[in-house]
Amino acid sequence: MSPGMRPQGRGRLMDNPRTRVFILLAPVVTFFVVFNTIPTLWLLGLSFYNHSLTSGMPPEFIGFKNFVAIFNGKNSIWFDLSRTFTFVICGVTFQTLLGAALGFLFWGSKNMPGRRIALTLLFAPMVLTPVATGTFFRFIYDPTFGVLNYIARDGFGMAPIDFLGNPKIAFWAVLAVDSWMWTPFMTLMTLAALGSVPKAELEAAEIDRVPYLRRLSLVIWHHGKFIMMLGILLRTIDSFKTLDLIIPMTKGGPGQSTRLVALELNKQSFESFNMGWSSAYAVLLLLISIAMTSVFIYVLNLRRRKEAEE
Amino acid sequence: MAEIIIDHVTKRFGALAAVDDIDMSFADGEVACLLGPSGCGKTTLMRMLAGLEQPTSGRILFGGKDVTRLPPGKRNVGMVFQYPVMYPTLSVSENLNLPMKYDKSVSPAERQRRVDEVLDVLDMRPMARAFIEDLDIGSRQKVAIGRAVARQSEIVLFDEPTTNMGVNAKLQLIHAFKQVTRRLRQTIVYVTHDQTEAMTLADKIALMKDGKILQYDGPHVLYSQPSTAFGGWFMGNPGMNFIPATRQTGGIASPILAQPLPAPSHLPQGEITIGIRPERVEMSAEPGPGSVPGVLVDQAVGIAGRYLTTVRVDGAKVKVNTAGAPPVGLGDTVHLSVPHARVILFVDGNRVAG
Repeated sequence: MSPGMRPQGRGRLMDNPRTRVFILLAPVVTFFVVFNTIPTLWLLGLSFYNHSLTSGMPPEFIGFKNFVAIFNGKNSIWFDLSRTFTFVICGVTFQTLLGAALGFLFWGSKNMPGRRIALTLLFAPMVLTPVATGTFFRFIYDPTFGVLNYIARDGFGMAPIDFLGNPKIAFWAVLAVDSWMWTPFMTLMTLAALGSVPKAELEAAEIDRVPYLRRLSLVIWHHGKFIMMLGILLRTIDSFKTLDLIIPMTKGGPGQSTRLVALELNKQSFESFNMGWSSAYAVLLLLISIAMTSVFIYVLNLRRRKEAEE
Repeated sequence: MAEIIIDHVTKRFGALAAVDDIDMSFADGEVACLLGPSGCGKTTLMRMLAGLEQPTSGRILFGGKDVTRLPPGKRNVGMVFQYPVMYPTLSVSENLNLPMKYDKSVSPAERQRRVDEVLDVLDMRPMARAFIEDLDIGSRQKVAIGRAVARQSEIVLFDEPTTNMGVNAKLQLIHAFKQVTRRLRQTIVYVTHDQTEAMTLADKIALMKDGKILQYDGPHVLYSQPSTAFGGWFMGNPGMNFIPATRQTGGIASPILAQPLPAPSHLPQGEITIGIRPERVEMSAEPGPGSVPGVLVDQAVGIAGRYLTTVRVDGAKVKVNTAGAPPVGLGDTVHLSVPHARVILFVDGNRVAG
């Protein structure tokens, strides 16, 4: 390069591959550190302190006492956790099965008139605000003027059911709303997964006389599994954090029947302002989330590794 | 016996007739190429043979049996796609075995024998246990070809199998194809837009344009006696010269003809053109009997080291393809002679004589 062609100033930094990497990464790294790393470290630190915003006392270092209280206190985390896992497992399983079934139906009906309208309607719940969905369903479930009880009473002559007031029903009523809202997401993921299957491979399998169920495992699952597993992973993490849907419906009640971990955390931190205890609780939830993600990624890689070895 | 009969088959997509009332048959044990430019309907026609597409009207018969309404799995055809299909969780030999696995009439021993035979023909014995990750795109397509032929169905369809391949893989595939077809006498329909491939592989070529078959003939006949001007233009590289001609008392006159061409007895009305292949035009620096003078306006080196020259003769441009270098330089006068026996006469794009 002749001296006259040498770029000047900033241009020279961008031309050097080593500095260019840092310059291009700087904005996202800054964002990540300021809004993610620092708060997480702060949270971790705070979890070892007794710190209440309402007491007026300065934070006091108490070691692992917050964690001990979470596991052994009168409101032990175990009850909330088992309730949350039931919610996650039942909800995600149901949403995946129904969502996948709907996805296959929509996939197989590409020439059906009105398909686009049906798809748009199907995806409508997903784009609503969970708080609005929860509020509407509180009205729908209402024992005196709710539309469900109106149908049950006037249509079938049944006694009114207090969906959200009965501790035995409330959990499942809330789960039903969560499924109403998020099944379309799994339909979307199924459609994306099916879209990633090469058309020629499906047609070849048809010509090669491969039976339908075998085609499903041989061709469709092989190409679609990554997107499907990704959908299940996203749904699991999201479901684990369910909060804004339940608050307008039951606020965790009646009793503690719909109190998931996120509701307890919300109550302790932003209603009772027990910041130290809440931080410890949040750290535990973060660890559980990381563990779940790792398991999913491990399972996905396991399949691929096995294929490579075969 | 598996003669393919296409009985007045039409396929419409909305207002467009992708396949427009085709009525023809492919003989048993023959390699037939469907050749034509993109969008001419050749792939649609093939997909209807496979059962992946339903004709709007008409019937398709395999060996006298009407298969028009049968699903692909019940037609007993093999098919190779443009996209090389190799089932990713199965090894090469498992791939070859798969279509036979669901046919109860073939014993496991016979299946193994057929798989081994195809592996040998394709020269893939060392790769029998390989998986898709171990193979390049050409080998994957070879597996697809093997899978389509190992089941020994009477009909095998090829939908532009070499389109996405590199030059090397393409040659390998064509070699493999020839090996396979020589061993197993199946009725083969091969779709391609590559005329060289069609000329190399086919017993007969069906030239398609706008949903219709223009001509169905052996490669040599199709090349030397195209029934339409389109055929003359599409086949050959470069295609045929088309030079306007007029009807006169002495016969048919054209700027590149020194003597008028005797007119055939029943010359229809319409616009007359004469067609001549570039390699049939003779070129020399000196005038000779029956030659016309022209100006050499362009020259290039073509396939196999042949010389491509463009000569302007009285307003018409003539492409000339010669083995040796042109006798004169750019802008100089050159003398062309066109043998009457090589001239084809077209009226409104259809061949009438020659």
